[in-house]
Amino acid sequence: MSDRIVRRFADRLLRGQSTERARPDDFEAEQMKTAIELRAARLGSDAPREDFVSDLHRRLAAEMADDQTPVDHPRWAPRRRQVVIGGSVAAASAAAGLVVGRNLLAPTPTQPAAEPSTQGELEPTAGTWRPVGASVDLPEGGALSFDLGSVNGFVHRADAKLEAVSGVCTHQGCKLWLDAPESRLRCPCHSTSFSLEGATVTHQLPVAPPPLPKFQVREINGVIEVFAPTKSV
Amino acid sequence: MTGAAYPNWDAVYRDNVTWVYRLMYGKVGNQPDAEDLTAEVFMTALRPLRVSATVPEVRKYLRMTARTVLASYWKDRMGRQVTSIEEDVPEVIEPESFASDAPDKVRQLLHRLPDNYRRILELRFLQAFSVREAASEMGVSVANAKVLQYRALRMAAQSGEEATS
Repeated sequence: MSDRIVRRFADRLLRGQSTERARPDDFEAEQMKTAIELRAARLGSDAPREDFVSDLHRRLAAEMADDQTPVDHPRWAPRRRQVVIGGSVAAASAAAGLVVGRNLLAPTPTQPAAEPSTQGELEPTAGTWRPVGASVDLPEGGALSFDLGSVNGFVHRADAKLEAVSGVCTHQGCKLWLDAPESRLRCPCHSTSFSLEGATVTHQLPVAPPPLPKFQVREINGVIEVFAPTKSV
Repeated sequence: MTGAAYPNWDAVYRDNVTWVYRLMYGKVGNQPDAEDLTAEVFMTALRPLRVSATVPEVRKYLRMTARTVLASYWKDRMGRQVTSIEEDVPEVIEPESFASDAPDKVRQLLHRLPDNYRRILELRFLQAFSVREAASEMGVSVANAKVLQYRALRMAAQSGEEATS
């Protein structure tokens, strides 16, 4: 019968049982949603059980105490619970403007956490080498900005080596500006600043935003080129 | 930004467990899953929480974690998101603002249905009648009551879809 999925779902829901796996289509999912809304509107049904609240408190206490014992694993090694939803937790944290730092129970180290995450390299699926400036325009210790439409950033020369980083703040995407005298990339939105190498230097956010992604950069025949997404025509 | 911070994880838990549970219950409609999801939110969120995070920051973070946890729950159970937690929340976040508008929405939904459809849904979903009890209350056979319930749910879902689109 075509509505078996919904019937079964609603029957279990009305019996207060957990949801079983199924593969509903659009309309079936809509019916499930309606059933949930109806069921959840029952008076007084949404208060948590006392037993549940105190039991979860005990489990959390054990879990947090566990975390305080001397660790022979890195604090951020994935643990059972974190593995379940993997990277999406990081996404949620980032979206909430909070990135993993020290936890609430850990003996309070006064030093801020080190680099919140590693610096990635920007690798477009389809990319080409695009000129961003002439070699003569970039002396040792200097920096210049570039804007290729799809991406923008800053390239600088230090110790005769070129390095290019993204020009978009990793917090909320504001465009960074080059504070050349200070050799800093500054965000106009929340006073965050990055080094020319892309490391987070200062910020006033609850947690440090990740470092800026790097570009591949090269110098050929007096032209500086960055590996960037192929221009869409 | 100024704002008080929680002294420890225990305070975070006590202050927020009820609304997190209610939020989850409103999204899954059953106690066992709402409890599992609530536990997962706190297990996931407490450890990485920063000591200095303010109360609104903590609540926002819990909500975002709940959003992710719920999304992966539905993906696993149904291969799609049957319900979801809205991302955008008002700047000033108080637990009360997390309370759902479900009762209102449900009232409107039921209001749009023919009498017998509305009645069967009220009896079964809101008043916890068994099929048998609902059938006798409405003066129909048990088989009839079952058919009524499923048709009513179909129509409610349809009208809900139209109302939102």
